Amino acid sequence: MLSIKAIAGYVPSQRISNREKMSKFDLNDDFIENTIGVIEHARKASDEDTSDLCVSAFANLTQKVEVNVSDIDCCIVVTQNPDYKLPHTSAIVHKKLGLAKNCACFDISLGCSGYIYGLSTIMAFMQSNNLKNGLLFTADPYSKIIDEEDKNTALIFGDGATVTLINDEGNWQATGYDFGTDGNGYQDLICTDKLFMNGRSVFTFAASVIPSHIKNLMAKYSFEDIDIDKYILHQGSKYIVDTIRKRLKVDERKVPFVMYNYGNTVSSSIPLILEQELQNSDNKRLIATGFGVGLSWASVILEKIER
Amino acid sequence: MQATVEIIKEAILEAEVLNNVDDLVNDISLSKQGCDSLDLVNVYMILEEKFGIKIPDEDLDQLLTINGIIEYLNARI
Repeated sequence: MLSIKAIAGYVPSQRISNREKMSKFDLNDDFIENTIGVIEHARKASDEDTSDLCVSAFANLTQKVEVNVSDIDCCIVVTQNPDYKLPHTSAIVHKKLGLAKNCACFDISLGCSGYIYGLSTIMAFMQSNNLKNGLLFTADPYSKIIDEEDKNTALIFGDGATVTLINDEGNWQATGYDFGTDGNGYQDLICTDKLFMNGRSVFTFAASVIPSHIKNLMAKYSFEDIDIDKYILHQGSKYIVDTIRKRLKVDERKVPFVMYNYGNTVSSSIPLILEQELQNSDNKRLIATGFGVGLSWASVILEKIER
Repeated sequence: MQATVEIIKEAILEAEVLNNVDDLVNDISLSKQGCDSLDLVNVYMILEEKFGIKIPDEDLDQLLTINGIIEYLNARI
């Protein structure tokens, strides 16, 4: 049975402080801490590319678990900011990690819902092809596309990457998924030259669609709030996470918000939280929900395997 | 359903924008009465859901006061 063996994140050490932008964008501390929830955001080094972020996440993974690169037979990178338009970034990661030639590599082009889609994809792909050890990377450094003069985006996004090791030795299993798309909103979060975000539309989408999506998923699997230990929501902004939580009517302690010191890391935001929460012995069942560019959304139910 | 002062104030409370809506003045902009732009986005979303309509961005300058919101909604439902 395929499962999550381990997750490791990498957040670059360089930080950009939003407090230093207070006069430029007419901000105050309350807005920074309680509305966007980003005091400072992580920024990759100028010579650090998307594949390098993946390699650094992998280096952190090897500090947690033993990984023999010759055993890796599947490698997926979730990104919309690849090293190049082509080839796929997973091929570059393949070279940098020295993976075997029988390793399947491909990218998935999704944003903030990408980890959930990626998790479902790698599990299904490995299952159907009898693969044994997979790496699912997320790395979407928005610093490549941010307009530093745009208040809607310049304060929120941070760079980061994660890697999830999939094999049959882990303690967490994905037991249910739900997915959705509303292509009518494709222009609400779009990059032609620089990133553009219609903040009102994205907020309205997240606050109106995501609570009912999560409720529907729980109903589909006959779960109530008492059955769920944590709701791991994509860290869009504090205001969005708080609004979804309030509309779900769930306890604040069940909805982690952790991005104060590194920002919205797009598809990495969920696995960065899971890296901690999967180690928490109190957690037996989690729901993780991603939502954003597309407009796209997805949720997974993760359950601890009692061995 | 017709838009009324009470329904607009209920939406403001539901959005948790203000704790007390009793003293809101109907013809003064909500932004001058403690609602910031993000709060108003939240209120507009709740009203869109209540009334089953979509409020385009270009119409928002008609929805700055409670009276303006009522007039706008009642012209479209």
